[in-house]
Amino acid sequence: MANTALTRPARQVTARPAARSRSRRRGQGAAYVFLSPWIVGATVLTVGPMLASLYLSFTDYDLFDSPRWVGLDNYVRMFTEDDRYWHAVTATLEYVVVSVPLKLGLALAVAMLLNRGRRGTGLYRSAFYAPSLLGASVSVALVWRAMYGDGGVAGRVLGVFGIDVGSMVDQPRYALLTVIALAVWQFGAPMVIFLAGLKQVPKELYEAAALDGAGPVRRFVAVTLPMLSPVLLFNLVLETIHAFQSFTSAFIISSGRGGPSDSTLLYTLYLYQRGFTDFRMGYASAMAWVLLVVVGLITVLLFRGANRWVFYLGEGRR
Amino acid sequence: MTSRTARRGARILAGVVSVALAGVLSGCGSSSGSGGTQTVRFVWWGNQDRADATTKAVALFEKKNPGIRVQTEFSGYAAYVQKLTTQVAGGAAPDLIQLDRPTFGEYQHRHVLADLSRYTGSTLRVDKIPANLLAGGKADGKQYAVPAGQTTQMLVYDQDLFDKAGVRVPENGWTWEQFAKDMQKVGAATGVAGTTDFGWAVDWFDSWLHGRGKQLYTADGKLGFTAADLEQFWNTTAALRTKKGVSAPEATTKMDGSTQNSALVLKQAASEMNYDSNLTSYLSSYKGTLKTAPLPGDDAAHSGMAALPPVYFGVAQHSAHKDAAVKLLDFLVNDPEAGAVLGATRGVPANSEVRAQVCGAATGDDKAVCDYEQRVQQRMGPADTWQWPSGSSAVKTDFQQVYDDVIFGRTSVSAGAERVVENAQQALEQ
Repeated sequence: MANTALTRPARQVTARPAARSRSRRRGQGAAYVFLSPWIVGATVLTVGPMLASLYLSFTDYDLFDSPRWVGLDNYVRMFTEDDRYWHAVTATLEYVVVSVPLKLGLALAVAMLLNRGRRGTGLYRSAFYAPSLLGASVSVALVWRAMYGDGGVAGRVLGVFGIDVGSMVDQPRYALLTVIALAVWQFGAPMVIFLAGLKQVPKELYEAAALDGAGPVRRFVAVTLPMLSPVLLFNLVLETIHAFQSFTSAFIISSGRGGPSDSTLLYTLYLYQRGFTDFRMGYASAMAWVLLVVVGLITVLLFRGANRWVFYLGEGRR
Repeated sequence: MTSRTARRGARILAGVVSVALAGVLSGCGSSSGSGGTQTVRFVWWGNQDRADATTKAVALFEKKNPGIRVQTEFSGYAAYVQKLTTQVAGGAAPDLIQLDRPTFGEYQHRHVLADLSRYTGSTLRVDKIPANLLAGGKADGKQYAVPAGQTTQMLVYDQDLFDKAGVRVPENGWTWEQFAKDMQKVGAATGVAGTTDFGWAVDWFDSWLHGRGKQLYTADGKLGFTAADLEQFWNTTAALRTKKGVSAPEATTKMDGSTQNSALVLKQAASEMNYDSNLTSYLSSYKGTLKTAPLPGDDAAHSGMAALPPVYFGVAQHSAHKDAAVKLLDFLVNDPEAGAVLGATRGVPANSEVRAQVCGAATGDDKAVCDYEQRVQQRMGPADTWQWPSGSSAVKTDFQQVYDDVIFGRTSVSAGAERVVENAQQALEQ
């Protein structure tokens, strides 16, 4: 139904007098002229390399000699022979599954605190957002390594409580947790989006709920969550994609090795190692395409699943 | 109306594009045509003391050669290799490159390095460099790289901790059996592991193999060991690990040959295997008294020790300033003044005359290196070095990675050894 309603005006356009359509086309020409820097950039810097990497993924390419066609070899080897590939997949899934919900939960909690509009809110907002600006930088990851490393702050604080863990970044059990902690700490971006979403929730709904005797928990579950669900979906999709692409923190914290014992070997880190330390650019390209497809699939699934829990105001009529 | 705005839009766009183009063109101009002076890019990896000495030597070179400017970059080993690969693949290779055995094999096979044969004998003097060191920089009879020094394996240990445990270095060096016992003794008496777990690096495995008449790679580039050999080697360290003979996994996993991550320097082990080219760095960063001893070996003839080039210098094939780069190379290796500044930061000098001069006048940390080299001369085994095959770089990293899995109990020694051999065969085939 919705589809036919959308296409009908388009057909009417073609039926209009030729002169108007010509001027419109000329206007489009100007638009394309203005768009051309972007179009050139996108083709030369994004689409071109992507197609090249798709081709390379079917070759054996060592960066120096010309690529040799090997068909599906890279893909077959990846799925059947490469132990480390599965280490990377496991570490990445663990990272995404743990870090994304924690980060979103924290972002939402802080956004709700800041939404109360007490004194100094502006200051707090900036303070909580700051880590997101710093988080992707190399220096913070270095500080992180020092904090969770030998004789670092984290070890000493835990020592006070009688827990002796030693150097956390050098033990497979804890290393990934430190990387996750760094990711969660950067909750600023989703927090700001949640905050904007919270401002949009009509006050009347809370008032009505309060009149009906709903407590804070009930109001959160029955009003805030449904009203916020589109924003939640947006943040969930964005953060999931973002988490799959994480690289810097794991790279710095493990000194580029993904260790100890592959515990912080995120997918992109292994991809990088394959390409740049093992000289297997074809294999790395194949890995990149698998990642693209998997992230695409997961995004589709998130959107499909969203029909069940995302609530759009004004949709009730349907 | 619309057509006029479109035309104006196009004109503005043309203006913007031409300004941008002009910027790009002038940018190109200023970087390439800097009249008269050549800029040579020189890169290496290493610790701080090597960087300090090298920077001084480079400044000296610039003073003597006013037409040449040298741009230097240095970092830790892992970062160095990754960055270098990216630059080389992207056509932006540095002019003068520091290499080790795996990277030399890798880059020579991939035609990254220039054949220096036409310089040797004229602007590049190699006649004072021992033939066995020079051989390591040769491929197909041509000289592609020149050794920067001479080094050999050593065990560097904390004298106080060894004394406390009553452990003395035997007159004729340790046998492996005695060594294992003594390391456990140190661990039991001091609470600090006897030595850094030496299963992590191909280097110590190589010298262990030498003691058994084998080596990592044969001269024709084949794998020189079996999974059974590696299993035996790793079982040696596994037995020590449970009794504090060697360092704990958390300390071992960090090892990368630098003093910054060294278990010995971080006081997580009482001794450590390394090359004596790193001794100056240990001495300057360690709090306590360090002494050196030869590596264990079953007898003096099979000590597994060898005189090796710690690093090589090579010139990039596509360098635009090959002559200048060769000049710098020659200066670093052969110039007596450069030798005096560089000291023993890349092992003892490769040039025998410079070596005699440097070691004759050496004091402090440099002297320790010279003395050690002198002392262990009789124990050095195989005299030849040869080119390692392409793929040896990947084998080196894979070896350490699998060992991580072994020490953290993610895989068994035998399964790990199998995996290393399997992966190595694949890497060498490439």
